[in-house]
Amino acid sequence: MDLVTLKQKFEEEKYICDDHLVTVLYVALQLGRPLLIEGAAGVGKTEIAKVMADALGRDLVRLQCYEGLDESKSLYEWNYQKQLLSIQINMGKTNEEELTRSLFSDEYLLERPLLRSIRSKKPVVLLIDEIDKSDEEFEAFLLELLSDHQVSIPEIGTIRAESIPFVVLTSNRARPISDALRRRCAYLYIEYPEPEKELRILRAKVPGVDERLAVQIVSAVHGFRDNEAILKKPSIAETLDWASALQALGVRDLTQEILKDTVGFVLKNNEDIETVLNSVNACCGDDETGDRYACHCGHSHGESHG
Amino acid sequence: MHVTAVIPTERVMADFEIYLEKLRLFSSLLRAEGIQIGPNETADACRILLMLGFEDRDIVKTALRTVFAKSRRDQLCFDRVFDSFFLSEEMLRAIDQKRLESNMARTEAIEQANRELAGTNLESLFYSEAQKEAYSQLSEEEKQRLRRVRDRFLGDEIRNPDLYANMIHSIFARSIMEQQMLMEDAALGRASVDPEMGMIYRDISEFEDSDIPKAVLYIQQLAARINGELTRKRKRSGKTGMIDFRRTIRKGLETGGMLFRISYRRKRQRRRQFVILCDVSGSMIRFSEFVLRFIQLLTEAVSNTRVFLFSEEMMEADAFQLQNMDRFREYVRESGVYGRGTHLGRALKKINDQKPPVLSSGSTLLIISDAKTVEQDHAVREVLRARAKAGRVFWLNPIPQRKWKYLKSSQTMEEICTMISCSTLSELGSACRRLAAGASGQ
Repeated sequence: MDLVTLKQKFEEEKYICDDHLVTVLYVALQLGRPLLIEGAAGVGKTEIAKVMADALGRDLVRLQCYEGLDESKSLYEWNYQKQLLSIQINMGKTNEEELTRSLFSDEYLLERPLLRSIRSKKPVVLLIDEIDKSDEEFEAFLLELLSDHQVSIPEIGTIRAESIPFVVLTSNRARPISDALRRRCAYLYIEYPEPEKELRILRAKVPGVDERLAVQIVSAVHGFRDNEAILKKPSIAETLDWASALQALGVRDLTQEILKDTVGFVLKNNEDIETVLNSVNACCGDDETGDRYACHCGHSHGESHG
Repeated sequence: MHVTAVIPTERVMADFEIYLEKLRLFSSLLRAEGIQIGPNETADACRILLMLGFEDRDIVKTALRTVFAKSRRDQLCFDRVFDSFFLSEEMLRAIDQKRLESNMARTEAIEQANRELAGTNLESLFYSEAQKEAYSQLSEEEKQRLRRVRDRFLGDEIRNPDLYANMIHSIFARSIMEQQMLMEDAALGRASVDPEMGMIYRDISEFEDSDIPKAVLYIQQLAARINGELTRKRKRSGKTGMIDFRRTIRKGLETGGMLFRISYRRKRQRRRQFVILCDVSGSMIRFSEFVLRFIQLLTEAVSNTRVFLFSEEMMEADAFQLQNMDRFREYVRESGVYGRGTHLGRALKKINDQKPPVLSSGSTLLIISDAKTVEQDHAVREVLRARAKAGRVFWLNPIPQRKWKYLKSSQTMEEICTMISCSTLSELGSACRRLAAGASGQ
């Protein structure tokens, strides 16, 4: 697959992306390197893996990381209870050596996402989501899989990948990822999109949204992002949620009143909401006309304030 | 999107040799900038350039950045190096023009300095070209002051300026270094600001009053997160390691002797004791709010902690006061040590000599200070003594690491203990996570 085809596939999947993103994906794919994607929450990191799976026509295997995730949940686990039952049932009936061998066979092996991804006959896209939520020990455990495409199971030995998965790791930078893991990956950082791009995303993902409202929403969201006092910046996911909510309410024009009533869809932190409401009151406090929205506090005043 | 055009093979190979050589140089430049690049990365870069070709500068840049830069910081650094290395023709012309202008301006400055210094009594002080250039950048007021000082004391046997030439030069050099530091600040401010993370990557000393509540909120969230991580680590699910036979058999009794549930041995955690020595002198006032929060955060995460505050004198903070931030803040401000000069040597001596001993091999000494202290030799001696007594010594410095090279005090202390920069909230968070995990024996 070349660059142009890959870009076309992404467009078909309605993932609005630029040449830069497609080049990064192409490089990672051609070099067979895992791709580490960082960026704020909600900018479309996970979506890249999903779209990539569709574009390449592969299955998506997802491993959601969390604190305390270990190999028994991510790689494999022996079905211990089933093994015990088998021992009791076959005691005295089967040859001892044969029984022991059979206990460590595929029948008793519970495959978890990592093992499933490398034992699959057809190559898959493996998404290791929010790697920053897992412990450092788990990162170290991943190194063998990511660099040599193999895992070691003491009872069986080393299992080599039957097909090489395209691995996507995502991180919200909640904690720093180790250098060893970074070295094995190609790297992509996703920034918040430019207003034009965000507008295109909004049109693609919320079809039927009023054009003027879409522009107002994007302008307001960018105002929030530029406001340093807002700690949790709204992401694309929040923009889409807000647009859907406003569309469902039948809103066609983003006024101060509407902003006050619906700001919870776009800002998810009480302190941030208060900051915005205070700024709106401070700079538009005397203006009770419900004017169209937008200024430095994250909103545009439209024609009335200029 | 532009993709490689068909080009005769010989030309491609010749071009390729040239670009490979360029790539090797480029890799070494990136290494010099602190980006870790191994043979694998260089090989990857070659492979991908063979596939993509060299024609489209943007594609080459993105491909190389994907291979070489492994973090956001690396990306910013990569962009800077790439843009100055792989120049377009217009850029080359612009640089030549700029260099020409800068050389002319320099020559002009030296000539002007020669004219101004001729016949004055300052000629012997500014003899090299670099000094003359620096002289020409001084304001007229400063130049006059220099002349006045020299006029007043020339011929004076005790205060003859010639006797103090070295001192004048050192003051002059320091002022140039400070200017350089400010210029670096300005450039870094543009390059390293991460728009999404904003506040947590900004220098704490540049915070405005309106930023402080948000920053405090961030620290509180961080404390909750670190406590969560540590608790989670202490209570690992533990399906690995050595089997605990006693517990396994005991649990097996509940199921008629069948060992359905296996217990594993847990590693015994050896908690380290934390001794925090915090500078609350005048030079640290800007950081005090954050430092006090930071101490509270650490004491929450690590229960076995003793906190000492010092400026010219030293006192131990009451563990009870630490539980409430407002009470702790008031307590520190009324303590009498707040906002005065700094005497680290004296404070550390007290700790080192205290009976029963404060420091032992199982303790970690954490010094939070900007390292600006009187009697530095005394301080160095006491840090070395403390290092011999304590298991580990960490120094948290609120001055950004890039400025340490300009400060002799920071340089000296960095040589004798592990110095961690905590000039931003992000660095403060990383430091706390590292220290708290270390204190829990993990």
